Amino acid sequence: MDKMLRNWKSIIVFMLPAFVLFTVVLFIPIVQSVYYSFCDYKGMTDPVFIGFDNYAALLSDKTFGIALKNSMFFLVFSCVSQLIMGLFYAVLLTNIKRGRNLFKNIIYLPCVLSSAALGLLWMFIFSPKLGINQLLESWGITDPPLWLMDTKGFITLPMWMIAFVALWQYVGQSMMLYMAQISGINKSLYEASYIDGCTKIQSFRYITLPLIRPMVATAMSLNAIGSLKFFDLIFNMTEGGPNHKSEVLATHLYQQGFKYFKYGYASAIGVVLLVLCLLVTLFINKVVKTEQYEM
Amino acid sequence: MTTTKSAAAERVLASKKKITPIQVVIYVFLVFVSVTYLLPLLWVFNVSFKTNKEIFTAPFALPQNITFDNYTFAWSAGHLGIATLNSFIVCAVALVLSTIIGSMAAFGIARMRWKGSKLAMTYFLTGMMIPVHCVLIPLFTRFASFGLSNTLVGLILPYLTFSLPITIFIMTGFFTGLPNELIECACMEGANIFQIFFKICLPLCKTGIFVTGLMTFIGNWNELLLAMVFISDDEKKTLPVSLSKFVGPYNTNYSQMFAAIIIAIIPTVIVYCAFSNKIVDGLTAGAVKG
Repeated sequence: MDKMLRNWKSIIVFMLPAFVLFTVVLFIPIVQSVYYSFCDYKGMTDPVFIGFDNYAALLSDKTFGIALKNSMFFLVFSCVSQLIMGLFYAVLLTNIKRGRNLFKNIIYLPCVLSSAALGLLWMFIFSPKLGINQLLESWGITDPPLWLMDTKGFITLPMWMIAFVALWQYVGQSMMLYMAQISGINKSLYEASYIDGCTKIQSFRYITLPLIRPMVATAMSLNAIGSLKFFDLIFNMTEGGPNHKSEVLATHLYQQGFKYFKYGYASAIGVVLLVLCLLVTLFINKVVKTEQYEM
Repeated sequence: MTTTKSAAAERVLASKKKITPIQVVIYVFLVFVSVTYLLPLLWVFNVSFKTNKEIFTAPFALPQNITFDNYTFAWSAGHLGIATLNSFIVCAVALVLSTIIGSMAAFGIARMRWKGSKLAMTYFLTGMMIPVHCVLIPLFTRFASFGLSNTLVGLILPYLTFSLPITIFIMTGFFTGLPNELIECACMEGANIFQIFFKICLPLCKTGIFVTGLMTFIGNWNELLLAMVFISDDEKKTLPVSLSKFVGPYNTNYSQMFAAIIIAIIPTVIVYCAFSNKIVDGLTAGAVKG
């Protein structure tokens, strides 16, 4: 048997298709992308090496600044809000006896729906003459906010609205991860804590929280990467507008690359995005994942 | 000591039977949350049956007479029929291929004995951290020069590749969990390695296949960016792209756009309602392992 499992020919047959696909469709393009980011490449002509010019141009590009700011806002907001709300829902749902599955399934529903369609849906709900504003009008509020058209503030109102819609859509994912982890905790730990006179809040603080810590790291890195990749909702809700105020890195990349065909410049944005993704994942796994407890 | 112990135990028991005020508060809150989840969907569903005028005169009333005109128009003018078919073809092919190729690689990593297996795993896992955007431009230019842009094959290839890391990761877990005796036994009986893989190991990891299949199918079904960049021909667009093209701020016939949104999400909603427990648990199982 050992001989069979060590047979080079069959190992190659098993590994080769995945390896070839992965290298050709993923890794070679990444290397190419990094190379393009150092090139003047406008689509029609061949790439010409120009060094760090694209990155220098990024620094003076106002829209890139806004996009980076919005992406960072998005990253922090979704990590924090998903952690709090996901944990909150998970604790509520593990504490009720009936209807747990029903509520769980309702909260999870938007996760499986197309975020392109949901983005359009929320675009209409927040549009000036429909949805929320019709409701406000019927309550007698004469000048309702413009929701997705507003441009004031450091983080503009559209960004907040998109961030809340993203929370609404994806919180089910975090909730399910935490629920899975909480229901894996041995019940006798809680019984012991009640006998020692713990309140529910204390037992949450000293039993639940430390034991779900590894899952917090997993869920947070999923959220972080997801929020950096974020494209569909923004593209369909505001298309980066008004006046590029709700642009994030992904939409900026799409605009530069496939509307203005500045391939080199867009590749530089892509490289920034890639580096951010790797850094954030490393950071979260270093900081949050400290020690594992015996369950 | 014993009295406090039993009192505490009683308290625990009592809390299991009676509905306390706190439980009532929790239920009220959860119902409120569910309303925020269902109301937007129901609102769109309601509006999609109205005429354009009714949306503004009676925004929250039920539609006066139910017609499917909005739906038939959105279906034909938005190319939604062909888009659904395209989405289905792309996702199904990517699903089948990624399951087979991914499981094979996972088996090679988990069961075959060679030195580079750990390294190969790391190589595939880094794929999970890489955002699609980074490879968009090189892939686009490369595919254009190979004549793959604007074809469904050009879409299937990246979908398939981006589904591989999660498939490999989850399936490796399942294959490692299989008992060694099983393979030994099959080997004694004279089965070759491919028979062991296809006839014994793969059928035993049905749960894993279900979980990964679900994740990749849903992910690819909803994917917008790649499809938007690679496909420009109306006849080859996938559902999210056709929808985004048809529905936009510059179109003014709202009820038809709402109908299009409903057409796009209704298949997923129906499938979800039918198998919600299985889907939710399956997706979570995948994410927990991932």
